[in-house]
Amino acid sequence: MRGFDLSNPPFDRLRQEEVEEMEAALDIAYFPPGEVIVAHGSASDLLHVIIKGAVEVRDGATLEAVLGPLDTFDSRAVVHGAAGEDFVAAEEVLCHVVPRALVLGLIRRNAAFAAFFYAEISHKLAAFADQRGGDGVEGVLRARVRDARHGPAVTIDGLATIEEAGHRMRDANTNALLVRDDGRTGVVTGMNLSKAVVLRRLPLDTPVRDVCHFDVVSVDEEDFVYEALLLMARHGKRRLAIRSGAGYSGFLEDIDLLGLFAGNSQLIPGRIDRARDLAELGAAARDIQDQVERLHRQGLKVEVIAEITSDLNRRLFGRLFEMVAPPSIGSMGALLLMGSEGRGEQTLRTDQDNALLLAEEVPEGDLRDFRDAFSGALDSFGFPPCPGNIMVRNPTWSQPVGSFIGQLRSWIASRDPDAAMKIAIFFDAVTAAGRTDLLPRARSVLFEAMRGERVVLARFAHLIETFTTPSLGVLSTVMATVGVGPDEIDLKRAGIFPIVHGVRTLALEKAIAEPSTRARIDALVRAGSFEPDFGRELVGALRVFMEFRLRAQIEDLRRGRAEPGSAIRLDGLTAADRDMLRDALRIVRRFRETIRVRFNLAAF
Amino acid sequence: MLRRLRNLFYRATLGDQSYRFLFRPGPADEAVVIDCETTGLNPRRDEVIALAAIRIRGNRILTSQAYRAIVRPEEAPSSDSIRIHRLRAQEVAEGRPMHRVMPELLHFIGGRPIVGYYVDFDVAMLDRSVLRFIAIRLPNRRIDISELYYTVKYLGAPPGTVLDLRFMSILQDLRIPMLGQHDAFNDALMTGMAYLQLRDMQRRGVRLERSAPVRQDAPFGA
Repeated sequence: MRGFDLSNPPFDRLRQEEVEEMEAALDIAYFPPGEVIVAHGSASDLLHVIIKGAVEVRDGATLEAVLGPLDTFDSRAVVHGAAGEDFVAAEEVLCHVVPRALVLGLIRRNAAFAAFFYAEISHKLAAFADQRGGDGVEGVLRARVRDARHGPAVTIDGLATIEEAGHRMRDANTNALLVRDDGRTGVVTGMNLSKAVVLRRLPLDTPVRDVCHFDVVSVDEEDFVYEALLLMARHGKRRLAIRSGAGYSGFLEDIDLLGLFAGNSQLIPGRIDRARDLAELGAAARDIQDQVERLHRQGLKVEVIAEITSDLNRRLFGRLFEMVAPPSIGSMGALLLMGSEGRGEQTLRTDQDNALLLAEEVPEGDLRDFRDAFSGALDSFGFPPCPGNIMVRNPTWSQPVGSFIGQLRSWIASRDPDAAMKIAIFFDAVTAAGRTDLLPRARSVLFEAMRGERVVLARFAHLIETFTTPSLGVLSTVMATVGVGPDEIDLKRAGIFPIVHGVRTLALEKAIAEPSTRARIDALVRAGSFEPDFGRELVGALRVFMEFRLRAQIEDLRRGRAEPGSAIRLDGLTAADRDMLRDALRIVRRFRETIRVRFNLAAF
Repeated sequence: MLRRLRNLFYRATLGDQSYRFLFRPGPADEAVVIDCETTGLNPRRDEVIALAAIRIRGNRILTSQAYRAIVRPEEAPSSDSIRIHRLRAQEVAEGRPMHRVMPELLHFIGGRPIVGYYVDFDVAMLDRSVLRFIAIRLPNRRIDISELYYTVKYLGAPPGTVLDLRFMSILQDLRIPMLGQHDAFNDALMTGMAYLQLRDMQRRGVRLERSAPVRQDAPFGA
């Protein structure tokens, strides 16, 4: 039937003959305002796809969401036999209606279509994330040569000796040099030098012009990567000189291209370890950020991206610690990464959340210099300072472990929500460099002090009420009718924080030392704090929020916004995405309720 | 009243008694929305080249059982109407003659009321063939959505109010999405959607806001 939008997920997954079958079975239904289209708990013989009008999703007295054109409801009522909420027409509503028997038939035959109806949100996300996988390799091939990581252009005179050439290569950390000789330009590689000395037994003072070659194969820095790939294949070269204007700007090696394809994460650790000064380390830090977008484009799951990124960041912080810590701090100190960095849930760079614990007092001058050097270096790498000033630069967060424990106790005793937040951030800490015995000491004090302290735990849990979960799309409809822009939803406040903090509170209560939310949930399931099903749902919901936030951040960066936020515009989402977000928010709401009851937050 | 008399007359003159069902009321709460695409706007001279009919039951538009047909006219359509309907002469030539289409259509409509936009025009177009075929005019009750729209929007409006009863305007006012126009099925479908909403508003006694002017892009409707 014409008028049915087949590009609207999940119907875009249907094959031609399935499309015809469905179109032949479609009817249209009209609902006057106030009519309950699908009632909570009841089954439905029809899947509704809204043509016009708004449908309210109600759970008792609360309005949970407002659905609009192209939204589909209610898969639970059709497939699982009971709607999760009431669906009520808010105005004159027209819907396409698909008979249940047909939907079930399509689900049986078409796995991609079926994914939309999965009960479990993480399955759904995985199925829909696969869609992005397609543009991975293609996207890379359309990158420009200048975007690829490549070696520097170092020039040597043709009359210099091959011994000098070897030293220059080592100093510049490159495998090839440009050779200038009488107005010609040639290239000499490490392999040329080895062959000259080992195979031809030439003396070390042989001029480099005698062992280099002048038939330079080059590619322009504005060329596409695939053109470079073709040149390499055509000339049997593993290395191309990169032209920039009249001169050369560097060398592109096959390994650089390999890195581009794989998101070059395997090359970054070497780059971090080899970095000899802050500038080189800063370049590696930018590599870590740059690859996030690439990894995402290649269809990697968000938690894998977070794992890779956190792992690399820990290495980076560790290397920076080695570089700037004086011997006193190097032997006495432990560098902690906290917050999302500690939990391993970081993707695009956010605030510096770090601290230094010391086994003993160190000379005041050493400490002062280290604070400035460390935090200053991170500033220069582009890590925004922590707005709460939770970083090494702040003396509260860089002190001997003994006095820090005293500080921790005073936070525990405090009624200040700010103190609770500090405890929360500390509780997520991991040791990135230095002594590994200090963090467990401080953490065991925290566990000890919190054990059985219902009131203290409740105060800690109460942070979860900081931001209440919004009703998805309530504003959007209201706003759209009065002509104001579409509304946004802050994924961090609405989704990520409540899950992370609720799980954190339960982990603190049970003295679970794992820092990552996922590992904490697993441990809580093992401890019987909640059912495995609910644990999986929480992990899935968190993944949805992280994935959507990463998409929003990448979009922000693409538009050149300096500070990528975590707000997502509802009108930019497909109906399937909105549906998933709705599921995830429902899980958050349920989890928040669990925490509320468990810690009796109503008393606050 | 006049129509009752007329229908009595036609029942008597009905050429083929197997079509008596046209004079019996259709199933309760059902109607048929129809739209004809024609070679022009003159019911005496122009001909139907495509038609679509969709049944409505309660608040449902039964698009899954729609009736549609392409009709081969006796004369080739003018280039103007081709431009409007995007039906090329070849497609029209592939259509079937009206005397083959008509029995199917009459059975599809039965005794149900006929819903349309300026429905008298569509019925007049059909009547020409129906007269020839079984010597009657269609006796069905007619429901015109432009009249319904007038009632819900303009009834009791102060004198001098500018009336806008164009098809596009009605659809926009009711926020019904535009499907491709000048396709008999799409036009019938949009008419059906407008009908359900207007009928419901009339039953509830809800009026459409008169103050907001309706934006108009297309030169004419239907």
